[in-house]
Amino acid sequence: MAALVEMKQISKVYPNGVVANRNVDFAVERGEIHALVGENGAGKSTLMKVLYGLEQPTHGEIWLKGARVEIPNPHRAIELGIGMVHQNFMLVPSFTIAENIVLGSEPRKGRFLDRAQAIAVTEMLSKNYGLQVDPTARIEATPVGMRQRVEILKTLYRGADLLILDEPTAVLTPQETDELFVAVRKLVDQGKTVIFITHKLVEVKEISDRVTVMRHGEVTGRVATADVTEADIARMMVGRAVFLQIDKPPVQRGRVVAEVRNLGYVAETGRPMLRNVNFDVYAGEILGVAGVEGNGQTELVEVMTGLRPATTGEIRIDGTPVQGQSARRIRLSGVAHIPEDRLTNGVALDASIAENLVVDRYNRPPFTRRGALSPRAIQTQAVALMQQFDIRAAGPTALMRSLSGGNMQKVIVAREFSAEPALLIAAQPTRGVDIGATEFVHTQLVAKRNEGKAVLLVSADLAEVMSLSDRIAVMYKGEIVGILENGPHLTEEEIGLYMLGLKRDEGARGEL
Amino acid sequence: MTKNKAVIEAIRIVAVVVIALMIGFVITAMVSKEPVQAYTALLTGPLPNLSFENGFAIKNINRFGNWMEESTTLILLGLAVAIVFKARQFSLGAEGQMLLGALATAVIALKLSIPFPWHMLLALAAAMTIGFLWGLLPGLLKAYLAVDEIVSTLMFNVIALQVFDLLLFNWLRDPTAGFVGTVPFPDSAVLPLAISGTRVSWMIFIMLAAVVIVWFLMERTPFGFELKMLGANRKFAEYGGINTKRVIALSMAVSGILAGLAGAHLSMGLLKRLTINLSPGLGFEGIVVALLARNDPRWVLIAGLFYGYLRTGAQIMERSSDVTREVVLIIQAIIILLITAEQLFPRFQEWWRARRNNEVAIERG
Repeated sequence: MAALVEMKQISKVYPNGVVANRNVDFAVERGEIHALVGENGAGKSTLMKVLYGLEQPTHGEIWLKGARVEIPNPHRAIELGIGMVHQNFMLVPSFTIAENIVLGSEPRKGRFLDRAQAIAVTEMLSKNYGLQVDPTARIEATPVGMRQRVEILKTLYRGADLLILDEPTAVLTPQETDELFVAVRKLVDQGKTVIFITHKLVEVKEISDRVTVMRHGEVTGRVATADVTEADIARMMVGRAVFLQIDKPPVQRGRVVAEVRNLGYVAETGRPMLRNVNFDVYAGEILGVAGVEGNGQTELVEVMTGLRPATTGEIRIDGTPVQGQSARRIRLSGVAHIPEDRLTNGVALDASIAENLVVDRYNRPPFTRRGALSPRAIQTQAVALMQQFDIRAAGPTALMRSLSGGNMQKVIVAREFSAEPALLIAAQPTRGVDIGATEFVHTQLVAKRNEGKAVLLVSADLAEVMSLSDRIAVMYKGEIVGILENGPHLTEEEIGLYMLGLKRDEGARGEL
Repeated sequence: MTKNKAVIEAIRIVAVVVIALMIGFVITAMVSKEPVQAYTALLTGPLPNLSFENGFAIKNINRFGNWMEESTTLILLGLAVAIVFKARQFSLGAEGQMLLGALATAVIALKLSIPFPWHMLLALAAAMTIGFLWGLLPGLLKAYLAVDEIVSTLMFNVIALQVFDLLLFNWLRDPTAGFVGTVPFPDSAVLPLAISGTRVSWMIFIMLAAVVIVWFLMERTPFGFELKMLGANRKFAEYGGINTKRVIALSMAVSGILAGLAGAHLSMGLLKRLTINLSPGLGFEGIVVALLARNDPRWVLIAGLFYGYLRTGAQIMERSSDVTREVVLIIQAIIILLITAEQLFPRFQEWWRARRNNEVAIERG
């Protein structure tokens, strides 16, 4: 039997040189629930955008029901029976659910919307597919779970046979997730096919028939779900640790630079994101933080750098308490930070390279003297750092916007490294950058360690963490469930058990 | 590369002004019996006539004066807006700050008697202080309570206008005058003249100094850097350690100083008293100037002179021809609209860039 959809040798290279998909083969059988998994940035969303006509592949072909098709835009995808439910819902808040569902191809009575018909259609769809909604409720007054059902009904109303659900559970409560799973199964019973994008392994096991795993833009596994364990999938996601060849002298542990004690953070939503986190980072070591994304790593970094206030607990840098201090004070006490989200936090796209390089030090000599900025000093530093860190750009006055992802990251690395910190916090330092820049960043991190700086490396790439770290702390649901000495004896299976919450060292809580 | 951009920008602006003036002429031709004379008045009206008949003399110096007076106010307001816009704070409070600035000068001028120049200086200081405070308040609201600055500054304008009217009617008004206004300010609190035969006062020097100071503030001080980073990416500024709340509040406050000065110019320089309906809406003209200048203080000077010229020319056109004020405003609006349209001529820019790239390729190849 021919697959319902077959994507052959799909490659997608963005204009800035980022390779999002590399020769990806992807096939979905009729009537299955197919999970597409991978870490953020693995290329799964891009692949689905190609299928839905939002992106055009650089190479490759799409076959639907045995015939080759071109999908230049979502409109065509819908005609072909492909529907996509995005992570961010695209609904009109002030319209009712029925109005949202029929929006774009409304039943009409004369020149006007046939409201009764719209409600009837909605009720029928809702009943057939077991997706409970209230047709006359306004979207703004409905909970997230119902909005998602509306999105699904919307695609069904347009005649979708293949539904792409982009991380549908990311916004749902556990109960809503259960309801969604029931609905998805019912869809499949009625002859629909579902592609389920996620990075939560539990869900993969629970809902899918088959699973395709992506990593770094390539497919690393294509298996029937029943044949594998969560740990197997995790291994495919993070990659059989392809150890990078990095020369690293034995660790020369120095003084304690950072002490984190009983750190807790509760998000505005009331969800505890960090729970009783304890660890130390020593001079001369790299402490890696591993974990499936979304287990508190982002919050840990932001709390430690002063971008969010801790709810409880203490952080000391070289003995000085810094929790609750401003980002500037924390920087002044010797912390530098390579942020996880480069474009949001790490750079100002419409400012020059030189300006980006002084954002943490513009008000100190030599950049400011007697109250006045010195453009010359700012320029001189930029020229020096661009050379030292091999930043390829037209010049120090070039706008940040004009740089490739790899060169942007080098600008950030140049700034943070030249701050001469006692503690360097690097969050996903090589995400989305090319191989050359990745190697460069790795070498630089090890060099800092060898100089006797303390490095906290947070990465979703297990291979990266295992290649670089001297010790590895594993986070699960906002807690540190184990701090492991790195070495030949430590396997990714072992770390995987901690990452999935299957194993924990009770001692980890108290480990100092 | 930046040089290329500057060339494109310059060509663009000249082309736009020419096109806009041509459209304006078409409109004038449709409504006027003597379009050429009318348009000549618009385009050359503000220039002084140089006469060499009986020795050297300058005629119509007052028209040139009008241009300078108008531009001085516009440039001060343009600077005020440029500061907040640079920080991406869409404060629209210049109007209210200007009104209160003028009101403050009247209180000092009429209620105190101090010798010159202290009286004048104190009045100026009062205008600047009240402008600062009237900007600081919505600034603090935005920074610490996330009150939208567009809404709050517009509300603050309403409050300012009512306070202005209240004090003027009930306390400062000259009951013997045939209009709602104060008695003339004492000479000790009036800005001395800079060009005789006009109303161009020392404020023109203060304005020039303000251009330099604001340029220095924005380009050569840590505060200016903070302003720029806040405008470029607030999260990045915070990540870098900048106290963005302080910068937001201060940017709106500092902006108010300049708007307050603009108010002082109206009362202490032009009218030499306070009157009701003191130039309504003028505060918003600063936005036009700042937009034209892309928030660069040096360009605010040029844009203010340009816009002042246009407004003065329009008044002269209105007075000396059969073209009504409304038509003049339409022409003005078209010019401003065309110049501020970011996406005008993108094709031309593409063509230009492609041509440059070809040239470079040829040179290299």
